[in-house]
Amino acid sequence: MAEKTAKSTTGDDPYAALGLTKSASEADIKKAYRRLVRSSHPDINPDDPQAAARFIRITAAHDLLKDPATRARFDAGEVDAAGQDVHERRYYRDYADAGDARQGRGGFSGMDPNDIFAEIFRQQAGGRADGFAATGRTLGFTLEVPFLDAARGGKTRIALPGEPPFDVSIPAGLNDGQTLRLRGKGEAGHGGGARGDAEVNVTVQPHPVFRREGATILITLPITLDEAILGAKVAVPTIHGDVALTIPKGTSSGRIMRLRGRGVRAGGAEGDQLVELRIVLPKAEDADLTAFMQGWRQKDHQEPREAMLKGVPR
Amino acid sequence: MTETYSPAQVVLQVAQLTHSRLSAFVETEAVSPRQTAAGPRFEAADLARLTLLCELEELYGMTPEALSVLITVIDQMHAARQDRRCLMAAIAQEAVEVQMRVAAILAGAVPDPV
Repeated sequence: MAEKTAKSTTGDDPYAALGLTKSASEADIKKAYRRLVRSSHPDINPDDPQAAARFIRITAAHDLLKDPATRARFDAGEVDAAGQDVHERRYYRDYADAGDARQGRGGFSGMDPNDIFAEIFRQQAGGRADGFAATGRTLGFTLEVPFLDAARGGKTRIALPGEPPFDVSIPAGLNDGQTLRLRGKGEAGHGGGARGDAEVNVTVQPHPVFRREGATILITLPITLDEAILGAKVAVPTIHGDVALTIPKGTSSGRIMRLRGRGVRAGGAEGDQLVELRIVLPKAEDADLTAFMQGWRQKDHQEPREAMLKGVPR
Repeated sequence: MTETYSPAQVVLQVAQLTHSRLSAFVETEAVSPRQTAAGPRFEAADLARLTLLCELEELYGMTPEALSVLITVIDQMHAARQDRRCLMAAIAQEAVEVQMRVAAILAGAVPDPV
């Protein structure tokens, strides 16, 4: 899931956001904003995970107060601070971090291992006074997710050791064996470094009725002999609720019917549900049916195995 | 394939950017487009870079030359962060005792008071 920045700037007091009061002068506002951008711009503070949220907040506050006319309207209560939506922005650090920026690329490949350590430890020793900071390790967990939650999406409560239980969103179409990454739920950071992530390996529990292959849901639907011969309209369970299915006249066992768009709906695509029909005979012997079949057997029928028996060793 | 942008498209995409600002940034090598037969081409990372440059120029009144120095330092910071991440990943694959030993050495690496 994409990392979403705060959508709206909330009803915060823009003066408070900039550390100012209503009596601040225009110059005060500019000065405060300049100072806060230095400590909150995500491109200048790439190691600070909270920087983007702060930057959005102070920029919204500054946008509101920088223009004397807008500021006067805000002071008069004509506009409020929750004004604008901030759309998602990709900062330069996002590219530089991903190695997408062509300039200033790092990496150790081709270097002598001794040089790597010499270089790093020189940087550590000669560098910042606050010493060695490292992001905490990624911790691995496993989680069993009910079949329907994995197929349709949902929420599940998860308890990690040493952590109050919290809700995790399960995306629709989650696959068995897939890993969910929970940001900041891993090992604590060292020396002021950020907390690591938790990686949760998912096992999807089987369902007594439904099976799944990707976005396709499969079920086997028992039908009666008369429904197969005469046709019928029957209710079929789907993961989204029952659907009426018309069984055509003269349906053989094993026939597969497709219910479009009744499978997993994820990522804008809709999977189908495949229904395999299986003729089930009555449990108790039916004397009328037996008598009828004895008569029926006397007639001349097409032999269904005829084609199959040609060209195989006998 | 990476999507690329012509100078005209870049000026359209980055709100505060003008043609003359863009030329000044290219001239001072604050941003270096790829040179192609069809002229200079920018990538999405360059767009984000130019957005940052415009912000800093406007807010702090920095000249293109000063911005070129600053963005070089920012690039070096990102390179160093990548190096650090590679190193941390390599150490994380080592046995716990090796990790502990490295951590102990790092913890002892206090800068000497000059």
